Amino acid sequence: MNEPAQNRSLARMGMVIMLPLAAIIATTVWLSNGSTGGTLTRFTNALLTSFTLFSFMLLLTLFVYGDARKRPIAPLLGMCMSVLLGIGLSVFFLSQGELLMEDNGSVRAQALSNTIRFGTTVLGIALAVVVVAGTLFASIMNGPSQTIHFEEE
Amino acid sequence: MEEATQAFVFFWLAGLLLVVGAMVGFFSKVHWQRRAGMAMLVLGSLSLMATPWTLPFSPSSAFGHLLGSLVGPAVLLVVGFYLITFSGNVPVGRLTKSDRTTGVAMVMLGVLWLEAMHWWILTPMYPGEVNRYWLIFWPTMLLGILTLSLGAYSVVGLVGDGRLREQRLMLLVAVFASLLLLLGAMLDGPNVSRDQFSVEVLLAAADIFGAMVGAAFAILLFAIVLAIYESQQPSPKRLDPPTSTQLEQASRIIAQNLGGETEDE
Repeated sequence: MNEPAQNRSLARMGMVIMLPLAAIIATTVWLSNGSTGGTLTRFTNALLTSFTLFSFMLLLTLFVYGDARKRPIAPLLGMCMSVLLGIGLSVFFLSQGELLMEDNGSVRAQALSNTIRFGTTVLGIALAVVVVAGTLFASIMNGPSQTIHFEEE
Repeated sequence: MEEATQAFVFFWLAGLLLVVGAMVGFFSKVHWQRRAGMAMLVLGSLSLMATPWTLPFSPSSAFGHLLGSLVGPAVLLVVGFYLITFSGNVPVGRLTKSDRTTGVAMVMLGVLWLEAMHWWILTPMYPGEVNRYWLIFWPTMLLGILTLSLGAYSVVGLVGDGRLREQRLMLLVAVFASLLLLLGAMLDGPNVSRDQFSVEVLLAAADIFGAMVGAAFAILLFAIVLAIYESQQPSPKRLDPPTSTQLEQASRIIAQNLGGETEDE
């Protein structure tokens, strides 16, 4: 596939995913009488928590990378900085009064609440993956077998 | 033990054990490390699920309660899909037809169980009211199913050949998830009102988009860190071109191994 055609396919794929999702969310907002309070706060909290925790998980994967690279220190240091940056940004923004605070009394409580909520999001997505991948593979494996017939020479 | 120390040991340390255990258990190449990782994963999960008893004073224990509430449907779905998949066209270790029927029954029961947690009396209640993490989990899962099934629909259409059946099935799953989202926003459940559900759908969408953007930034930074490190490495030693003696030896060995009989001979 050439590059413009590939880009077109990716754009179409993005549209197929995003448009129905946006329509469902918009309908839900409309049904809830347009109440969108706290959405931006939740988005920012999720972004900061996800960045910090993903950086930490990627830091752990560097130990596997180190097996093939004589255990270098530089990437480990780089990802440690990334984790510290995430923690620093979270603490900084959470300390700015009511900017990112939800129903929690302190910065620590809000940060811990964000982490647990991220865990819940991961749990929800994981079970969604089980349902979708399970349905897809169950269908592929139980469909008629597709044999490739080569032309006789 | 102090309450803060108890919370650290039984919840946060257990969570860390779960994450590290999962990573070591799934990605390590050493057998004993994989086993140790799996043991850590099980231990961490059990400790988290026991928090309603070990940390009844902490609001975090609601997450452990949710985890415990989801074990039943999750096991039914995972084992059910495994049984259906491996009773199909697999060359080795194919399961029987009755396993397939059991798998279908387990998946249906798992889906019904999850539905009953929203539409019937099985909603996780902790402590005395609807578990607040259930209110985050259920819309997140439905939005996740909708997004992933639409993604799978596109990918199957893009790379699959003669996979119309799978595409239709993915579309059906997406429609089912959309219907559940809309029904939840239109009708009151026995424990969750439609207004509350609508607000939670919006907040779950914010959570998912935020998590995706944050993960993308982390992965981008990871790639930059590795690219900078790799670019600073000295280039590997280049070998000298082969001498005429080496080339002669190579052509001699090739000539010895080529040949054979053709149909014309």
